[in-house]
Amino acid sequence: MAILSRRSFLTATGVVAGGLTAVYLFRQRAAAVSPTFIFPDNETSATWVQIRPDGSCRMYFPRMDMGQNANTGLAQIVAEELNLAVSEIDGVMPSTSDVPPFAVTAGSMSLTAFSRPVAVAAANLRESLRQRAADKLGKPMDTILDDVGGFRTAENQVLSYRELVDGNGAVIDFDEDKGLPVLYTFDSSRLKRQVGKSAQPLGMQALVTGAPVFAGDVPMDDVLYGRAVLPPVRNARMATVSTAGVQQVKGFVALVEQSEFVGVVCKTPSAVDAAMAKIQVTWDLQQPINQQEIDRMVDVDAAMAEGDLEHVLVDEAHRPDANWGIDLRFDVQVQSHAAQEARVAIARFNDTDDGPKLEIWTGTQDPFAIKRFASMDTGMSEDDVVVYPQRLGGGFGGREHYEVERDAVRLARAVNRPVKVQWTRPDEFMASRSRPASSHRVRISVDEAGNLQDWWHGYVTGHVVMSRERLPNWLLPIARLGGDFGVTKGALSPYEAAHQRIECKDVDLPIDLGVWRSLNCGPAVFARESAMDELAVGLGVDPVDFKISQMSDDWPRLSNCLRQVRKLSEKRALPVGAGYGRGYACGTYDGRCYVAISADVHVDVATQQIKVLHLCCAQDVGMAVNPDQLRAQMESNLSWSIGMALVERFEVADNTIQSSNFDNYAIPRMSDMPSVDTLVIDQPDIPPAGAGEVPLIAGPAAIANAIRNACGYRALRLPISFADTQRA
Amino acid sequence: MKLTVNGEPRQVAEDWQDETLLTVLREHFGLTGSRFSCGIGQCGACLVHIEGAPVSSCLVPIKDVADKSVLTIEGLAAEDGSLHPLQQAWLDANVPQCGYCQSGQIMQALALLQRNPDPDDTDIDTAMSGNLCRCGTYDRIRASIKTAAVVMKEIG
Ligand code: FES
Ligand code: FES
Repeated sequence: MAILSRRSFLTATGVVAGGLTAVYLFRQRAAAVSPTFIFPDNETSATWVQIRPDGSCRMYFPRMDMGQNANTGLAQIVAEELNLAVSEIDGVMPSTSDVPPFAVTAGSMSLTAFSRPVAVAAANLRESLRQRAADKLGKPMDTILDDVGGFRTAENQVLSYRELVDGNGAVIDFDEDKGLPVLYTFDSSRLKRQVGKSAQPLGMQALVTGAPVFAGDVPMDDVLYGRAVLPPVRNARMATVSTAGVQQVKGFVALVEQSEFVGVVCKTPSAVDAAMAKIQVTWDLQQPINQQEIDRMVDVDAAMAEGDLEHVLVDEAHRPDANWGIDLRFDVQVQSHAAQEARVAIARFNDTDDGPKLEIWTGTQDPFAIKRFASMDTGMSEDDVVVYPQRLGGGFGGREHYEVERDAVRLARAVNRPVKVQWTRPDEFMASRSRPASSHRVRISVDEAGNLQDWWHGYVTGHVVMSRERLPNWLLPIARLGGDFGVTKGALSPYEAAHQRIECKDVDLPIDLGVWRSLNCGPAVFARESAMDELAVGLGVDPVDFKISQMSDDWPRLSNCLRQVRKLSEKRALPVGAGYGRGYACGTYDGRCYVAISADVHVDVATQQIKVLHLCCAQDVGMAVNPDQLRAQMESNLSWSIGMALVERFEVADNTIQSSNFDNYAIPRMSDMPSVDTLVIDQPDIPPAGAGEVPLIAGPAAIANAIRNACGYRALRLPISFADTQRA
Repeated sequence: MKLTVNGEPRQVAEDWQDETLLTVLREHFGLTGSRFSCGIGQCGACLVHIEGAPVSSCLVPIKDVADKSVLTIEGLAAEDGSLHPLQQAWLDANVPQCGYCQSGQIMQALALLQRNPDPDDTDIDTAMSGNLCRCGTYDRIRASIKTAAVVMKEIG
């Protein structure tokens, strides 16, 4: 394995222009194909924080901003360690040349994986500066005390950071033997100044004034516009291509045809639309694309009838012939990301003395993967490709791949001018790597006292992380041997049963699949929490008490969430009358995040609608670094819960994806969104875990259980329509 | 061809006269605060005011706004840079998540408050339900419109 000096890396990229940066040796890791899984450690994080020659603190943000504002939380940690205010931190979104590679922004891993390394980097800087202060004053280290933006002595001699750095770039080398400095962020005895406060997310002002922040907003001289034809699914092959009349379109510049690729470049966006309308492509499909095919493939009963499912996750004294008090099948449909931004990439090739260089501006969850793929696609060295990541107008798991960037790169290369590609909304739906459909069979038996005895949950779903074409064909079967953690996420039950079997199977559906907020956790928890609710109803017991009573002692934080959300919901009386109901559900995400939700609904016969009236959410994700932003993510997840439970219907038929825009794929709107009460349960002693997708696991079941409570209808299929509830 | 954008006269060059208002604003004038999302008038991300009325600029041929006056999100703050009460309310409540929809949300809210200085929840839901926000910031938008309404009444 090659050993590179990070010092030379930094000097070459100009990061160390002056001031002080913590720098360590770094080993170049083997490049995974996709996504980038380089999680930070005390070494890689070091380059993200530096003190500039003027004494200011610069932070290179290691996360892609898409609304979760994780960088703000990380900046709070840096501020805590360096005794600064968050507003004093000069945050910069680095290009792929500015810092060593970091992991894809996904899976709510930002605070889980990054908070500690960021704290270490900042604390190391602080202690190096303290050493400098001690040297300068000729005093021992332990007499140099913290002060705002610097240090002071017991005699009140003050030294700011500015006085401790100069214009000569300096780096501090990591010395493993010295051990770690004290991390203020994780010292629970310490009164915090930054962490735990609701800091305003960085960049808010730009968003309310319409300042340029997204890839499509980047100004570019001499730019042309382009777009390429997208396949209905990625394993389709072009059968016939007709481009008659494209050249005659006003503003036409170039038609670019390559293997499995056809695109146009024009002078203006409307010319691109006109040219694209002239291109006709027919496709060879490997599988028919229709709902029947999807239903057939995820049919859990058919799969279980054939014997054990492919992956047995839990198998404890399983009794297939138990006396099943609950034996229900749940079906969850496909959902699309439908982020509000229609994605954009701009590519530009520059001729330099060292040969051609490629620059890409894009909003992506994984800039280092884009760089690798662009290098493979063009045959250029990775060193000659730089990606400037921009804010994303929503990610939700759907923006990790080299796609719109590919189109821009190929078209720009063909015309040797910068090219901007903006996908249309139908492109967005067509290319969505959707959340797979799944079906679940949940069987539960109880003893005479009403305690769980047997638990059997089998399900079939499409692939999630190991979806087709995420990896090269040759690698896919090997990678899948290791299991698909997206598929198994959320499968384990917090409820205690002496006899348990949990098993699943993942299949290739005829549409493109991928990572969608909460992965399999949302569907699995919907099935589990619906089944438990139905059991409680059957036993005539209170569902919240019942669930708590059936949890093992390993779940105190989960049962606490349930208790807290009940308290919260009881502050508000449910309206009296027919069709009103309240339901509860809870769940865990990644074993680190806990949530419980209550929903009040009205199944309204007069308007023929199901209306969510109010939602309460209690969530415990450990240390609450920024409570306001935790709430914001909870609100967002509650909106998605309504979408999953009631609103979103992805349509496929006639060998193509029918959902093409917001007129035929509805997402929740203002009138769907009820009032919400959120409770952040802070655990200052527990490291923070990610909160970007947690309440979505319990929200849909809470709504379904509320509908059961309102009108007796047990939802076995999502999304739920009013008509469903009226069927006997 | 010319029009007025945020109080300033603008010329539309020959090459850009077959575009939509949204495209001209973004690509020709560099006013990128209004954003493209659906292209068919279904989401409100591109919302601007034409002669004081809220319109989805993705649907408007630029020729239709010749000699008219357009207000975009960039024209909302005062000349000294101080924010409009709606923008300030948005900022104070940390409304934006990804932020992509928010220019359109603010412009729609402005139209609502100009029509109805004192909207209740139902008025707000009705006026704002054409503006989609995938991030689900609706509850904060609702609250911020009410905050701004109070401020706007105070300052007249
Ligand atoms: S982009 Fe104009 S309404 Fe959606
Ligand atoms: S803030 Fe992301 S779409 Fe509204």
